[in-house]
Amino acid sequence: MAEAVFLALAVITIGSAIAALELRSLIYGSIALMGTLGGIAGFFFLLDAPFVALFQLAVYVGSIAVLILFTVMLVKRELIFKKIEDKRRKFVGIGLMLVIMVSLGAVFLDSGIKTITTDEPSPNFRDIGIDFVTYYWPALILMGLLLAGSVTGALVLAKREDVENDQRAS
Amino acid sequence: MSVIAPKFKLSEFIKSLLDNVFWIILILVLIGLPAIFMILFVIELPVINGELLTPFLALSWLVNPTRTLPIVHAFMETDIFRVIAFPGFGFAALLAAGTIFVERKMLAKLQLRVGPFYCGKFEGILQLMGDGLKLISKEIIIPAKADKPIFWAAPVLFVAAAAAFVAFIPVAPGWVVADVEMGLLGVFAVIGFFPIITILSAWSANSKFPFIGGIRALFQMVSFEIPLILSLLGVVMLTGSLNLSEIAASQSSFPWIVFLPVGAIVFFITMLAELERIPFDLPEAESEIVAGWLTELSGMMYGLVQLGTYLKLYAFAGLFVVIFLGGWNGPMVVPPFPAEILENGIEMGPVTAKFVGLPLFTQEMLNGTLWFVLKTAGVIFFILLPRGVFPRIRVDMLLNLGWTKLIGLAFVNIFIALGLLYAGVLGPGGLQ
Repeated sequence: MAEAVFLALAVITIGSAIAALELRSLIYGSIALMGTLGGIAGFFFLLDAPFVALFQLAVYVGSIAVLILFTVMLVKRELIFKKIEDKRRKFVGIGLMLVIMVSLGAVFLDSGIKTITTDEPSPNFRDIGIDFVTYYWPALILMGLLLAGSVTGALVLAKREDVENDQRAS
Repeated sequence: MSVIAPKFKLSEFIKSLLDNVFWIILILVLIGLPAIFMILFVIELPVINGELLTPFLALSWLVNPTRTLPIVHAFMETDIFRVIAFPGFGFAALLAAGTIFVERKMLAKLQLRVGPFYCGKFEGILQLMGDGLKLISKEIIIPAKADKPIFWAAPVLFVAAAAAFVAFIPVAPGWVVADVEMGLLGVFAVIGFFPIITILSAWSANSKFPFIGGIRALFQMVSFEIPLILSLLGVVMLTGSLNLSEIAASQSSFPWIVFLPVGAIVFFITMLAELERIPFDLPEAESEIVAGWLTELSGMMYGLVQLGTYLKLYAFAGLFVVIFLGGWNGPMVVPPFPAEILENGIEMGPVTAKFVGLPLFTQEMLNGTLWFVLKTAGVIFFILLPRGVFPRIRVDMLLNLGWTKLIGLAFVNIFIALGLLYAGVLGPGGLQ
């Protein structure tokens, strides 16, 4: 049963990821992206981590996908698809991808995935919460400051001069 | 002479009925019974209590109440019953239908109108059924340049998301469709799907008014989701659980609204906004943008969206009751099932009928359901009330309210909860 569900989820996740990249229609592409994110939530359910799975659904499918849809609908197509392509950019892109993949792989291999045990009881989300505010508190505060900084930056960027006064003057 | 059917004759009508009966019996005997017996050759019949369940036995069970009640009892324990009938879809749809009737009559009385009057003998009580029949029989028109797959899927998805929301609401102790550990998080995840469905439906219609309405709905829902989630965190902190049944059970001595009135007010206002009800009905503002994101939906597609809207209304009211008003908790008012019927059975003249499997529902379940329904009806009344009183507010006022005032108040509520927890008033070692 679990194997069949795993296979189905894998097919959904990878298939809709490919669809998200390849589909001509941007809206369908973002729907396919939702499928990918939902499939990842399914993987978390399969791993007995419903807390993470539901947050994946609420945050990624519920909010991030909405933001992407919103952007796609309101921004002109030409602005997204302005292509600048030459050899240097191509090689830099490939190099960047290799660096990111190697570093992610190193993190994975270093995280103790080699000695994984499959039949352990699932971790309690309360323990994770306690860990966050005790041992990992500097990381938590750093993340909070980063998010606050990015929200402030977004507000500054989005703030515009009052148009109304201009119209009145003219 | 009738106006509707001028050539009506009673004899002809009875003849046509008898004709139908004749043909039904003929077809059943010639085709139906042989087909049933042919199927019976193939199917392996189950053995129940050492008896082979032949069709004859099944029929005799059906007419024998002493045999039927245990079957009904066993059926009520199944998941199918819970999803279709009692705490799930059927119950919610029934309450939603009642809500629609009360809304129309009550608004009419508030505004000195009559409201639905002609359908049904009493106060237009069958108006909803008439409307439903009309919607089912209407043609579904799809705009020529619409994106058809999404346009077709959106109403169905809307109802599905609303039904998934309903599944999380516990009605009585143990009576909930999905009793999951992370019930409240599940609710947040399901609420997050509504803006996506709305904006996709609005975009796929490829029309001006639906798109304006959809964008408004997106603004409104996304910005009010944050105070909605924050306003419920206080209760989660005090209860120490995300399971909705446990949250309801934790309020046996007093409801949380006593200690967290700020959170309840914030949740109520965000609830109005998420439900797109007046004064926050900008997404379907009928006097500005026709019907907002519902403009191009016709026939039963519109009907499905309406059904989903009212299911969502019931689910939000139920969530308010479960989290702030104590859920099913209340004084025991339902009398216990009479013991003589259990012991002696019912005597009707010379016949004494003993019923195995009674009572069908326990006293706690009936009492809990009664209190839950009463409280939910009260909350629904207060959700309906602003529609008769308030005008629609502007979109900038709405966003200002959501992003500044409500989020601030939600944080105040969290600090009140933390204060109560650390002062030892509530939580471990406190009152509860």
